[in-house]
Amino acid sequence: MSVEPMKVIIAKPGLDGHDRGAKVVARALVEAGMEVVYLGLRQTPESIVNAALEEDADVIGLSILSGAHMTHFRRVKELMDKNGLGDRLLTGGGIIPTKDQEKLKELGIEKVFGPGDDIQAIVDYIRTWHRSRST
Amino acid sequence: MNSDRRTGHSLKPELWDQFFKGSRLACARLITLVENFPELVPEIRDKLFSHRRSAIRIGVTGPPGVGKSTVTAALARRALKKGHSVGVIAVDPSSPFTGGAFLGDRVRMQSLIGDPHIFIRSLASRDGHGGLSPSTPYAADIFDAFGMDRIYIETVGVGQAELDVLTCADLVILVLQPGTGDVIQALKAGIIEAADMFLINKSDLPGTESLLDSLRFIFEISARQKTIPRPPILAASALHNKGLDEASAEMERLIHGLIQSGRFQKKKRLRLEGEIKASILQNLWEQFSTLTNAPEEIQAAADDLLKSGQSPYPFIRKISSRIKMETVNEKTCCENRR
Ligand SMILES: Nc1nc2c(ncn2[C@@H]2O[C@H](COP(=O)(O)OP(=O)(O)O)[C@@H](O)[C@H]2O)c(=O)[nH]1
Ligand SMILES: [Mg+2]
Repeated sequence: MSVEPMKVIIAKPGLDGHDRGAKVVARALVEAGMEVVYLGLRQTPESIVNAALEEDADVIGLSILSGAHMTHFRRVKELMDKNGLGDRLLTGGGIIPTKDQEKLKELGIEKVFGPGDDIQAIVDYIRTWHRSRST
Repeated sequence: MNSDRRTGHSLKPELWDQFFKGSRLACARLITLVENFPELVPEIRDKLFSHRRSAIRIGVTGPPGVGKSTVTAALARRALKKGHSVGVIAVDPSSPFTGGAFLGDRVRMQSLIGDPHIFIRSLASRDGHGGLSPSTPYAADIFDAFGMDRIYIETVGVGQAELDVLTCADLVILVLQPGTGDVIQALKAGIIEAADMFLINKSDLPGTESLLDSLRFIFEISARQKTIPRPPILAASALHNKGLDEASAEMERLIHGLIQSGRFQKKKRLRLEGEIKASILQNLWEQFSTLTNAPEEIQAAADDLLKSGQSPYPFIRKISSRIKMETVNEKTCCENRR
């Protein structure tokens, strides 16, 4: 890895369920040499972006299973732009229908991951983004 | 990289403007810069030094899982209520194999979020030789210059980190939990000697009394008692919000004593001395290794010594004798230039 490890925020917005999936992804990113700030359950878009700002995070990853992905992604993106974090990567995972994925793209959220995706794909996606940003 | 953050090897003036105007993002970026670019540290220190006020640095250390983050959040909340601006630096270990780190302390600090007078930053220990991140003291000074007057430094109290925190902090709280009586034996001797306050968290669990007893016993038999008074030993339950007003009040008393006794000033002086010495050492080594080809010679010598089975000291004496010569040469060359 380079001298500058990536810093990634992993959070679970909303009130639903468990954070097993988010933890698994967090662990995989740590294994891949990233510094992962884990926020856990019941986050609000405000608390997530506040953490990203204080941590000067490169990447924000949201885990959303509640179906409220559009609301959360839109709000987090808005707050990122407002707080000078527009150049950071916002991505995430959950059960997100293709038509919503298209809408997310319009918001500037290029790619999200589903339950069928390999964790390595997430690692690769973040790494590729980071490399393209560095040059 | 990240051309928005710096230009070549120096910082953009806008970043400073934003920092001194109170931009939290600028503060966060400066911490990232001291973490990622050691070569920028002198420039950042030059700019910040005179802006530091006199923030008190409180180290919170102890074995994993005893509730350090929960306790830190509880103490920070009380400091906020008293009108302090609070910085929290939460250090977790980096994996020596992958370089990655799981930074999970914020999970326990949720209740603090949204208050504009608190700034929480997680740091991975990186190459801190198993101890604190080398950038921890710089991050603390950045917070200080940003206007925080109480800075909590949470570190996992295992190995080197618990000793490192003693040099970074003005006061150190050692957090323990019931059932860790035997852990006390495993703690580095230094921390028992140097902790300013013992906090037994999770006193809602059984075993609190017996841990209190064994701690008191340790101090009865320790040599420390003869020179300085026994540190306060308190019990609390951060989860149930019990005993923390007392702990917080005790801490304020300790801070007061620290300032009154002149120890605060002394700690600051020692930290400064340490930084100067470490920088000189670093500079000397860099000069020495560029003026000579010491790194290669050392490598070759180590190879030879391993083969011959001889003591390294004749080589050490030989190569060290050049330090003086190189310095003299430097001097004469500078004088010639004039
Ligand atoms: N029973 C009990 N559990 C606590 C208390 N304080 C913290 N915990 C729990 O202990 C666990 C570890 O806490 P944390 O603050 O992350 O510990 P750290 O690793 O030392 O920072 C969490 O599950 C907390 O909820 C307490 O006073 N009593
Ligand atoms: Mg912790």
